[in-house]
Amino acid sequence: MKLSEGRMGEIYLVQEVSVAPNITRRLEALGVNETTHIQIMNRKKSGTVIIKVRGTWLALGAGIASGITIAEVAS
Amino acid sequence: MSETVITVGFVGNPNCGKTTLFNALTGANLKVANWPGVTVERMEGRVTYKGQKLRLIDLPGIYSLTSYSIEERIARKCIMEEDIDVIVNVVDVSSLERNLYLTMQLLEFKKPVVLALNMMDIVQERGMEIDIHRLPEMLGQIPVVPVSARKKTGLDILLHAVIHHYEEGPHDKVVTYSKGIEAKLTKLETALLEQYGEVENVRWVAIKLLEQDTQIMERYPLGLPEVLDQSYENRITNEKYDYIEEVVEECLFNKEASHAITEKADRYLTHRIWGLPVFLLILALVFFLTFTVGDFLKGYFEIVLDWINLHTTDLLGSLGVTDWLISLVVDGILAGVGGILTFLPNIVILFLALAFLEDSGYMARVAYVMNEIMGSVGLSGKAFLPMILGFGCTVPAIMASRGLENEQDRKRTMLVTPFMSCSARLPIYVLFSSMFFGDKAMLAAYSLYVIGMLTAILIAKVANKLYPLPEENGLLIELPAYKTPNARTVVIYVWKKVKDYLTKAGTIIFLVSVILWFVLNYSFHGPVEDVSQSFGAMLGRWMVPLLVPAGLGMWQIGVALLCGLSAKEVVVSSFAVLFAISNINSAEGMAALSTVLGQSGFGAVNAYALMVFCLLYSPCAAAVGTIKRESHSWAFTGKVMLFQLLVAWCGATLVFQIGSRIFG
Repeated sequence: MKLSEGRMGEIYLVQEVSVAPNITRRLEALGVNETTHIQIMNRKKSGTVIIKVRGTWLALGAGIASGITIAEVAS
Repeated sequence: MSETVITVGFVGNPNCGKTTLFNALTGANLKVANWPGVTVERMEGRVTYKGQKLRLIDLPGIYSLTSYSIEERIARKCIMEEDIDVIVNVVDVSSLERNLYLTMQLLEFKKPVVLALNMMDIVQERGMEIDIHRLPEMLGQIPVVPVSARKKTGLDILLHAVIHHYEEGPHDKVVTYSKGIEAKLTKLETALLEQYGEVENVRWVAIKLLEQDTQIMERYPLGLPEVLDQSYENRITNEKYDYIEEVVEECLFNKEASHAITEKADRYLTHRIWGLPVFLLILALVFFLTFTVGDFLKGYFEIVLDWINLHTTDLLGSLGVTDWLISLVVDGILAGVGGILTFLPNIVILFLALAFLEDSGYMARVAYVMNEIMGSVGLSGKAFLPMILGFGCTVPAIMASRGLENEQDRKRTMLVTPFMSCSARLPIYVLFSSMFFGDKAMLAAYSLYVIGMLTAILIAKVANKLYPLPEENGLLIELPAYKTPNARTVVIYVWKKVKDYLTKAGTIIFLVSVILWFVLNYSFHGPVEDVSQSFGAMLGRWMVPLLVPAGLGMWQIGVALLCGLSAKEVVVSSFAVLFAISNINSAEGMAALSTVLGQSGFGAVNAYALMVFCLLYSPCAAAVGTIKRESHSWAFTGKVMLFQLLVAWCGATLVFQIGSRIFG
């Protein structure tokens, strides 16, 4: 599933990040990597999201969010 | 004490409070705001602590020490090449985990690092706890100093730690990577030393080679294809974060509790449907306060101004000063400058409200709320941040466009930002809407803010139709936790704006008022009795044909608009001088002005057209200068100015032509 399609409030595991290289790096530095846990705090219809990662909040445009593949975490 | 000067670099994530700390230490008053990327260039200050001289450098906020963004390159170059003796790594404790990633990289640099734990007070307020004894143990025994930049606590201890640690030298190795990576690092370190002899900081260079950092690969080319077979950046990053997780596990307690308020607030403030109406409501509230509270305070200013007017005339008269000098002082300077000063309460309230919004952490959310609207015109939501700064002043707003990633976005943002209604236009709205719109004055003024915003968005849309930018929807911005705005930060911010306003009144507005007085009282034949024979009237009449379609066909308006190119408040001060009205912002002043204007058939529709024109045409000389400085192009600047004049003329004409048909 893409991050832009996730459910609000759910926690997911990042599986793959495939966006432009400079954005990949920025995300990496912000702690969004493969195997990172993230929580979707807010999501708009367009796919723009606010996620919580490593104790901070990030707003990501739909263009970036649709390049991040996530998987559900078994509860 | 030692004569050497210790150079200290302030490094940290964007929005971690470096600048606040830097201001607190050096007594400087650099601009602070609660969103990432306010500091776009390095700043320097000097302090002496117990006889030891220190040179402090405030660097732009960065998330890592790679070389991908401008800020990162500036910071990295400064640390590598500028002989920084000690790094003060400012860390926002409320997002410790992410902040420590940069710390890990700095620790690999082999320079003395002192960790300043900022915002401890906020974190403690929210119930989070941190073990500051265990933390240094896990970070190679570097000094860890809790500080509060806002409350100015821990500053002496921080400086003491800097000096002490400088003498002590670098710390121990902190992160040990997995076996595979460590084996590669050892091989690279050996090869580097063999090939280049002395390599300062060899482990760091080896790590950067494994990450395939282009700058370092060019500087230290090595063969070794079997070691450098691919980029290990991702793995190295992950392993650093793994270690950080251990640190956080050991040192941080009750962190979830501290997030509760922000998460609750965001359920409403960034709600997918309500987010936008809430934002517009907040804006409306800001302007409501600006008008009502500002107007309430204004009364007192007017009493003082009336008193000064009366007594100056009496005093100058009793001293036997010639009539023309009395006229210059009373009708020129006091009418112009004094008139402008009575708007100060409105300005103060506006900036207080903006400072409050900025410092609370809400502004960064606006980028998220506005992202889709901005996206539909080809810009990222982040471009809305400079635009919203434009409600305060266009100059810093244009400078803030530097925070945007690419040149195209920057230029487009510079093109549309001046349409956002800055505080200098406020006196015009206050005056003309009060004169012509009675109890709907506030609504009339608020509508201009909305028109400014819509114009900016519309123009961006047209620009995007003509020269489409690739649609990326690449918003990427960190949202700070909400906090109670800090009184000191707010006061510094507002005071700076008040000072700017007073300086403007004392310089540009003073100068233009004096010049205008001369232009209105003289012609080629010397002093004139009848203003309509003056230089000013000649100049104004020349502009009248152009202004008639917009309902502004009076020579006085032409002159006022021309003067307004220097600064927008000047439009108001010019009206005061042009019609010789003392205390223009008082009830009598307004009545006098609206009577004179009314005699020429100037009514509410004309007033609205005038306000629209003032909203849209070139903001001021300073803003034009800033556009030139930021775009490095006179051609671009000239085009922007012409474009603004054209838009203003079209806008005002449209308003007048439609308005006079409906209401006329």
